[in-house]
Amino acid sequence: MTTAARTAPTGPAALQRRGRFRFGDALLYGLTLVAGFAAVVLLILITWKVLAGAKLSWQTFHLDFLTTTTWNPVTEVFGAGLFLFGTALTSIFALLVAGPIAIAIALFLTELAPPWIRAPVGALVEMLASVPSVVLGLWGILVMGPWVVSTLSPILSTLFGWTPFFDGEQTVGSSQLSAVLILTIMVVPIVSSICRELFTNVPTELKEGALALGATRWEMIRGVVFPYSRAGISAALILGLGRAVGEAIAVTQVIGAGTQISFNLFATGDTLASKIAASYNSAGTNLERSSLVYLGVLLLIFSLIVNVLAQLIVRRVARRQQGRT
Amino acid sequence: MRKTRYVIAALAAGVIAAVAFAAVAGAQPAKTQATQLSGAGSSFVAPLIGQWINAYKDATITYNPVGSGAGITAISGRTVDFGATDAPPTVDQFTNCRGCVMVPWALSASAILYNLPGVKNNLHLTGSVIADMYLGKISKWNDAKIRKLNPGVNLPATDITPVYRSDGSGTTFNVTDFLSASSKTFSNQIGHNTAVDWPKGVGGRGSSGVSAILSRTPGAIGYADIAYALANKLQFAAVRNASGKFALPGLRGIKAAAQADKKFDSRNFLSIVNPPKGAKYAQAYPICTYTYVLIPAQSPKGNDLKAFITWAITDGQKLGVKLLFQPLPAYVVAHDKVVLKRVSST
Repeated sequence: MTTAARTAPTGPAALQRRGRFRFGDALLYGLTLVAGFAAVVLLILITWKVLAGAKLSWQTFHLDFLTTTTWNPVTEVFGAGLFLFGTALTSIFALLVAGPIAIAIALFLTELAPPWIRAPVGALVEMLASVPSVVLGLWGILVMGPWVVSTLSPILSTLFGWTPFFDGEQTVGSSQLSAVLILTIMVVPIVSSICRELFTNVPTELKEGALALGATRWEMIRGVVFPYSRAGISAALILGLGRAVGEAIAVTQVIGAGTQISFNLFATGDTLASKIAASYNSAGTNLERSSLVYLGVLLLIFSLIVNVLAQLIVRRVARRQQGRT
Repeated sequence: MRKTRYVIAALAAGVIAAVAFAAVAGAQPAKTQATQLSGAGSSFVAPLIGQWINAYKDATITYNPVGSGAGITAISGRTVDFGATDAPPTVDQFTNCRGCVMVPWALSASAILYNLPGVKNNLHLTGSVIADMYLGKISKWNDAKIRKLNPGVNLPATDITPVYRSDGSGTTFNVTDFLSASSKTFSNQIGHNTAVDWPKGVGGRGSSGVSAILSRTPGAIGYADIAYALANKLQFAAVRNASGKFALPGLRGIKAAAQADKKFDSRNFLSIVNPPKGAKYAQAYPICTYTYVLIPAQSPKGNDLKAFITWAITDGQKLGVKLLFQPLPAYVVAHDKVVLKRVSST
């Protein structure tokens, strides 16, 4: 605000002399400056507050917190091991399922679909992203859960029963698998809309060139579209991963708050964000509350890494594309 | 372009003005005709508070059933006028609440729920059998121990799925308190608290989360307050008390259990879980609990709160009967009134 006050001319005389639009410029400059600083200050304040909140837990558990797998409010032994594991397992599987689907949707909408289909289908896919997560979670527990138990889990068990991930059969609607499916639904629209953008930006002359040389459509996609947007796809997937890792409410509703580490997707589990959402409001002791904030610190660090990675990749792509033209 | 800039600047200035106006307006305390009291916490007592909201005329009351732990957090932050909890606040929670006063204001029971299609309601269970189910030591419904308690009942070989609350809950406190009293192993391995480290099973958020999982999982066992179980037509067990009788979470069983503990602790907490053996408690249901209201001793609405709570623990009690809230014993009401003398408006 001080900058705005210094540069803005004062009084009606100044306005007349310099013209009204200049005053507008100065005002705009001041406002955007404040907005920009506000964002930075807010981020610093949040980080500081979160770190301060986690202090008690840090002083008690230090780095052992990362490897401890119990969360026992009775004996006050807290650790993030279970939640780190659950977060990694569910978000990696969600990405494994969502990645190919999202890329396929993007390919269909940019290369294969007749033009009149593209806009409505694309809009519908992106609308998926705007379904509130609490609604998705409710749907997950009431509709999807029973369906997973009755239909999906027997199929997966027969096909992949030999892997540690699909051991036995699921008997309860809440499981790590249900969480994976809900996360998949949330990740697909993000990844597919970025990929659509990427595929549309592949130069038409390259695509036409490949087709002119006798390539089939699939060969053109494999030889031109994919290599051209490979880095961009990675960035899209990483952003999708960030979404999956950070999702709290919908996951809380379907993952079943399990207390044991298990590779078996039919078993219950828990994630960092889901644990915070379920327990923060009702934490009984200061140490438990602080430990929940410590989980938040881990989540913050992770999203920082995700964002930096995605930005590095995007920058690399931009540089390479500049080099080409 | 110039025009666009001008428009943007004008819009921005408008936004700033609006924000400034809102800030100024918000800084002045809102003046309303009727007194408004807002509360949050225990979902256990929510059906009864719903009745009170309709019947109490001296203030407009709003209540948000976010769970006991969240209710304590809310009143500690003074984001509401009163908090409601079924479990006693921990030392940390009581300190964080800065000068709060707690009194019991309702009395009811937690039900042990199960989902066994085709099997009768009110199966007979004991604390140690329920503890073994949660510990994973009894894993099928046709286990010899369960059959022995229910002669003549055809129990299926369904797997038992324990269901628990994933958020901190007063109901969890009372149920684990009872299971710890009934089973040494449960007491040593798990203990009792508003949230515990369950060895197996599925967690649901809130009573609604527990019942959503329970009602869709044949073979599940869970717990919730009796009013909730009745409203949602869930099966619930008759639980054996110390005198050896299988009691139901009805008014008679609750009334008998309420004679158990006449000593208030320093927080005004009364434990009536698992009453001892004796003719006096022969009818007692073993998982009964008082539920409490937590308010600041000094607050701007102190006198209004005092009036409302005094009404709730006297005339308000009659409204609870059809929801299976047993009216408070006279000595509890008398004790509450003494404690409430410390409450006043600032």
